[in-house]
Amino acid sequence: MDPEEVEFLGEKENVVIVPTFNYGVIHLIAGDIGPFRAGLPIKVPLWVAINLKQQQTCKIQQPDWMDVENLEVLKENEKNAITFTRMPNEHYMALTKALLKFAPDDLIRANEIRTLVKDIWDIRMSKLRSSVDLLIKEKSSYAAVDNLTILEINSVRPLLPHALDQIHRMKKLQGPQLGTNSSAGHTSSYSFRS
Amino acid sequence: MSLQPSYLPNYFSIDDILASQERIPCTFSVNVQKLGNLNPSSEETDLKAGTALELPLWLVQDLSTGRQPVVIPELPKVYKEGYREILKADASAVDLHKFNLYYFELGSYVRVFDRKSDVADTLIHAFTNRFRQLMDVIDSTEHNPTDFQRMDSLERRLFKESKESRMKLHTWLEHSTTPIETAAMVLNHKKRKRGTDL
Amino acid sequence: MFGEKAVELIKELDRCPTSLPPYNTDLVSEVNNEMRHLIESNQDDARSEEENRSLSGESLLPTIKCRHSAVIRNIRCLLAYHYNRLRVLRTMRWQFGGVLPSDIKQNLSHLEVEWLTKYSNSLAQYMRSVGEEGINLATNLKPPKSLYIEVRCLVNYGKFELNNGIVLLLKKNSRHFLPRSECEELIRQGVLEHLVS
Repeated sequence: MDPEEVEFLGEKENVVIVPTFNYGVIHLIAGDIGPFRAGLPIKVPLWVAINLKQQQTCKIQQPDWMDVENLEVLKENEKNAITFTRMPNEHYMALTKALLKFAPDDLIRANEIRTLVKDIWDIRMSKLRSSVDLLIKEKSSYAAVDNLTILEINSVRPLLPHALDQIHRMKKLQGPQLGTNSSAGHTSSYSFRS
Repeated sequence: MSLQPSYLPNYFSIDDILASQERIPCTFSVNVQKLGNLNPSSEETDLKAGTALELPLWLVQDLSTGRQPVVIPELPKVYKEGYREILKADASAVDLHKFNLYYFELGSYVRVFDRKSDVADTLIHAFTNRFRQLMDVIDSTEHNPTDFQRMDSLERRLFKESKESRMKLHTWLEHSTTPIETAAMVLNHKKRKRGTDL
Repeated sequence: MFGEKAVELIKELDRCPTSLPPYNTDLVSEVNNEMRHLIESNQDDARSEEENRSLSGESLLPTIKCRHSAVIRNIRCLLAYHYNRLRVLRTMRWQFGGVLPSDIKQNLSHLEVEWLTKYSNSLAQYMRSVGEEGINLATNLKPPKSLYIEVRCLVNYGKFELNNGIVLLLKKNSRHFLPRSECEELIRQGVLEHLVS
């Protein structure tokens, strides 16, 4: 998938905003939003929040997890753990990017947040690179991907599944002595790209 | 977003047709009349048994099967013991293009010519050990043409597919909005037109 | 050596994977001639093999096998040549839109032009059949961010009519603020350039 498409999925995440206007309930296919009351916080999808913010009719509240101390703890955990730690939000990158772009004034210590999130991303990506390399070297057939967000998983496509397919083709050449029943059907993996 | 399957050679694959055009050394075990022109160094009309020639893989595959094979093929030299040892020692340092542009594809066909040797193992070993290098080249932002030159066709294909994807991620991370772009073919077409107009 | 010319066709396609070189009628007919010659020789030899079976002497079977293999190879190359050209043509339909530039059209054989017309028609029919008024599958290939976008014109395109009836004059370097859905196709065709702040 394209990063834009993952971002699109991420825009469905809910954030809390404080509108500056009053309005009734809006019925959308994905669900209802509202009613809006000026000054009262309300949960809406990110795309609605961005839209309203661009029209200057709301203030976006900083998500609980997007706090400098919390992020520093997350970063330390990530550095010290061998596997991947759980991220506070499945779409943390998309959310951070959107909020930093459209609502930097609503965030406390925005620059530090930007650096911290980027550091966390870099640590996770380098861990991912080493695990992928290990996966290929060991010629294993599967690996656990707990706690990886969808954007990170997409970063190894199409390289990892296609490489594994080629290894599978070559393994079949080695013949049946490896104990893997070479089945009649070949499953090739599909990667979405544009 | 479109479906992109991994490489699986089929009847129409260009890479597979080109890979099966590679020459294989073989010896004729029977006399073949009227096809003396296959041997460029002899003037005779017939091919005598015992002639050693290099024929394309597709021909060798058809002629070496059956109860009375017409030719006896042998492993091309890049798949023989000496070269396999070089790969075992340090696969990443090898310029695989120099061995053969279609190293992995050809290897999978050629392995049947010498079942006792471990050509298949060598292929897997080479691929998995070179993977790290491939991943590093894809992830790096600097463009070094020699890296690409040292890959064989399978690695090049993986490289092209993943590089595009990587670049997209990189652009998305760096810039806030990505514009709608001119279609790739349209861009290439315009460049070519400008080139010929000059 | 048999099959060399056929592989030349494939090599032509391999050299430029994203564009179409002119349809090589000459080479295709040369390959056809080679195949005909091989098949005829094989038929002659097969007949004489029948007659000579009682006599001692060498069998012509290996010769026939060789020639047959070459024929099969030529068929494969010809089929792959045509198949892969059609695949590139199909991608072109999606990237260039309904009308291909004339210099690309020059490179097609008349059968390919016919195929393209039929494909475009099937595609249009399919798109019309979805929903009430049909849906244009070529728009919104990337998730849209806003309803209106700013564009700059790259060539002197001329008049362009919007859905609400307003006619715009698209001159080189003129900037406009247009609904995304209407100008997406022109951006993909390289007429407009999407400007991001």
